[in-house]
Amino acid sequence: MFDTFIGLEIHIQLKTASKVFCSCGTAFGDDPNTHVCPVCLGYPGVLPSLNHEAVRFSYMVGKALSCSLADRMLFDRKNYFYPDMTKNYQISQFHEPVGVNGSFSYEADGEVKTARIHDIHLEEDAGKMIHSSASSLLDYNRAGSSLLEIVTEPDLRTPAEAEYFLREFRRMVRYLGVCDGNMEEGSLRCDANVSVNFSGKGLGTKVEIKNMNSSRFVRKALSYEIKRQRKMMKLKRPIIQETRLWDEKHNKTLGMRSKEEAHDYRYFPEPDLPPFVPGKAFMESVDAEMCELPLDRKERFISQYGLRRDLADFITGERERADWFEAAAAEHADIQACATWMKGELTKILTNNSLSFSVSPLTPKRFSILLKAIDAGSISAQQAKKVAETVITENAEPEDIISRSGFDQSASRNREALAEIVAEIAAENPDTLKQIRDGNQKAVGFLMGQVMKRTSGAADPGAARNMIMEQVKTQN
Amino acid sequence: MKHWKRSTAAESVRKTYQQQLQKTDQDLAALLEIHVEQGYKLAHQADGELAGLPFAVKDNIAVEGFSYTCASKILEGLKSPYTATAVERLLQAGAVPVAKANLDEFGMGSSTENSAYRSTVNPWNRNRVPGGSSGGSAAAAAAGMVPFALGSDTGGSVRQPAAFCGIYGLKPTYGTVSRYGLAAYASSLETIGVLSPDLELTRKVYDCIRGGDFRDQTSMDIPEDPKKIPQSAEKTEGSYTLGVLKGELGLDPAVQQNYERTKAAVQSLGWQLKEIEIPMLEYAMPAYYTIAMAEASANLARYTGIRYGFRDTTAQDPEELVRMTRTKGFGPEVKLRILIGTYVLRSGFQDRYYIRAQKIRSLLQQELAEHFSRCDLIMMPVFPTQAFPLGDSGLIPIQQKVADRFTLTANLAAIPALSIPTGIDEGLPSAVQFMAPAFGEKRLFDAAARVAKVLPPPEIPRQFSLEQLIQEAADV
Repeated sequence: MFDTFIGLEIHIQLKTASKVFCSCGTAFGDDPNTHVCPVCLGYPGVLPSLNHEAVRFSYMVGKALSCSLADRMLFDRKNYFYPDMTKNYQISQFHEPVGVNGSFSYEADGEVKTARIHDIHLEEDAGKMIHSSASSLLDYNRAGSSLLEIVTEPDLRTPAEAEYFLREFRRMVRYLGVCDGNMEEGSLRCDANVSVNFSGKGLGTKVEIKNMNSSRFVRKALSYEIKRQRKMMKLKRPIIQETRLWDEKHNKTLGMRSKEEAHDYRYFPEPDLPPFVPGKAFMESVDAEMCELPLDRKERFISQYGLRRDLADFITGERERADWFEAAAAEHADIQACATWMKGELTKILTNNSLSFSVSPLTPKRFSILLKAIDAGSISAQQAKKVAETVITENAEPEDIISRSGFDQSASRNREALAEIVAEIAAENPDTLKQIRDGNQKAVGFLMGQVMKRTSGAADPGAARNMIMEQVKTQN
Repeated sequence: MKHWKRSTAAESVRKTYQQQLQKTDQDLAALLEIHVEQGYKLAHQADGELAGLPFAVKDNIAVEGFSYTCASKILEGLKSPYTATAVERLLQAGAVPVAKANLDEFGMGSSTENSAYRSTVNPWNRNRVPGGSSGGSAAAAAAGMVPFALGSDTGGSVRQPAAFCGIYGLKPTYGTVSRYGLAAYASSLETIGVLSPDLELTRKVYDCIRGGDFRDQTSMDIPEDPKKIPQSAEKTEGSYTLGVLKGELGLDPAVQQNYERTKAAVQSLGWQLKEIEIPMLEYAMPAYYTIAMAEASANLARYTGIRYGFRDTTAQDPEELVRMTRTKGFGPEVKLRILIGTYVLRSGFQDRYYIRAQKIRSLLQQELAEHFSRCDLIMMPVFPTQAFPLGDSGLIPIQQKVADRFTLTANLAAIPALSIPTGIDEGLPSAVQFMAPAFGEKRLFDAAARVAKVLPPPEIPRQFSLEQLIQEAADV
């Protein structure tokens, strides 16, 4: 009965070293008004200086989205007053943005879908305003940060599609290294436009929804809003073109109390910034920074490595995992084992130690050694888990851990290693040896416990006890 | 120049100089802040020809630690946190900024009567205006208070006060002097300019301050390759072909008299006069003001009292604060221009006004380029009248704006122009204006030097003898 049309406006904060028009840094969370200068504060007489890293990042995203890239990019002034805007105009792009007419593919329940991209444009972020009871507080640290806005066509058809799109988009910008994609911190923001209409009647009246700070909320907000609009249409009530805010406490969208008139932004070309012409060298630098995009990489992992879809999905979830995996594969690690380990044990251990794959002391090389040890029968899979953990916590070589723990199940190696360990423990506990000589059986148990601890429970109890008694004898 | 350098060299002399400036300024009201010692601290130790020379800076150009009011109440009390690039280059050359000069508020006006603080008088006649908007700079330089001053020229604001005060006033090619530090009024039209009774010094100051600056991305060096210069300014000496406007120009008798006299004088030098017509000139004034006011409406949006300057303390919320601050802080002429500028940028109106104005601008540039293919220079009057009386210009505001048509041509076309003092008529200074193709400053200086031989500039009305002053200080 109804068609649904969803479009997204995504803002990403680019991970540039400095702001888009001045040299201030961009760290998040510092004391208010400590990353500011006359330029981003909008003092009299200041002028914008274009950050070319921001432009390069923008062209990279444009490429990833298959946009037609501008060969003569322009900036425009978008004029409106708001306390968090230092100049009360935003330098943005309207006439000749970074890229237009692109597309982006994402997976929705096993099916690959594509949404068209209307345009992407580079602009500056505003500061932050917080209202307290008696005053309004302004922090301009964020003012002037590089912001890339991506506007899709209203091609998404369900709230779930919007969520999948957003998740895939986030993955893509993280792969490129241009953005953290952190919706809670605000480095990735999403507003949605949704309209509902009777089937076959084309687009309906568009409602904008703001204030959703996770992809899950985007889906929930859209679900609610679509229901609301359908109800209105069934009741033959008109849908007002407005901006509504997502209320995450009450799970509904709310119309804003103040009537917001449609802004006339009075766009005109930014006279302080000449047209940006990319040129050959610049485009080559863009190409040099591109990487294989996540969806493509996932499909390749499935076909090239024969990975199961869910494992491929997990491994390509973050670029560093995919890189780690391929490095391990290059070390001839067993593919399937590697994938399973990554999804299971390795992620668990790394998370417990607050580490990620890119800084894991268990490098792909060390990991492949570990897998080979399991293969050769030197250690059991269970023991390997312990070794992996130890490599990570101690940043040690797997071979060293295996030999010193006496894990090697080949008999003689075991014996030697065990004897060494018992000797060590005996040397460390001369008084306990004395006690055993004097007939204290509990003391034996104590030393046994030490041996088990040091061999992580792998020692042969009988052999260990014999060796301890040997030590007791030789002490004198 | 020696006596000027000595004015700043010894602390005792600096003190005396400070006192003398203050005393003279009681009469002229040209300066908003005088602080010789502070300026001396900013200047670098240097050896060149500008080292030690004191100068005044129009109060819409930033000098760190000095006032930065733009002659407006809305910036009352503001001290600049940074220094404009043009001033910085003078500091590096060892020159000493000693005062901030009065102006029409934000550069909007032709008499300096629009200053929110005081009206400056013309050193030649206390009942007359010094011109505007760089009236303070012109009066100070003409009165011998400083050897040169910096001003800004958006539609004639350096040339017209220079003409009214009998000194040289250079408006450089757009982009050859960095605008970083010039409080923006009309970004695509304005430049920082130089005022001085000494032509050679004007040239030296220009050479010092010009050149590309990464902080102003519309700035550039003069191209090395003459082929890159339109209408190659190769010819920089000798006999020039001078284009002069055909027909009745609507000039006051004294101005007409001077104009005819100058035509005869240059012919006596062997120059050729060529009558030209510039049909687009009729539309220059409305096109200029459309563009200027549109840009001004955006450029002045940053003045809200939130981050610096005057702040209304009665407001109950941020929106009211902005509204009240701007209502109380801006003068009527400024408000008028902001309102008109906002109007012409309105959606639906841009085609009719702003875009049309830009088209007229292009056509005017084409017409001038045509003429420069046959003329080396174009001569025009500076203003239809000489310095008019204070308080009653005999021209209502709209007439004053029409009177700008001779000077605003060069701003619309982005070409250099020099106001040349050519004598005294009816007790007041007279002048003419030479315009050259882009980057043709060298030709302007050469031509002016030749004219000075047959039409010597008037002796400036010294307010005090600095030589005597220094001598007296030395004797102490």
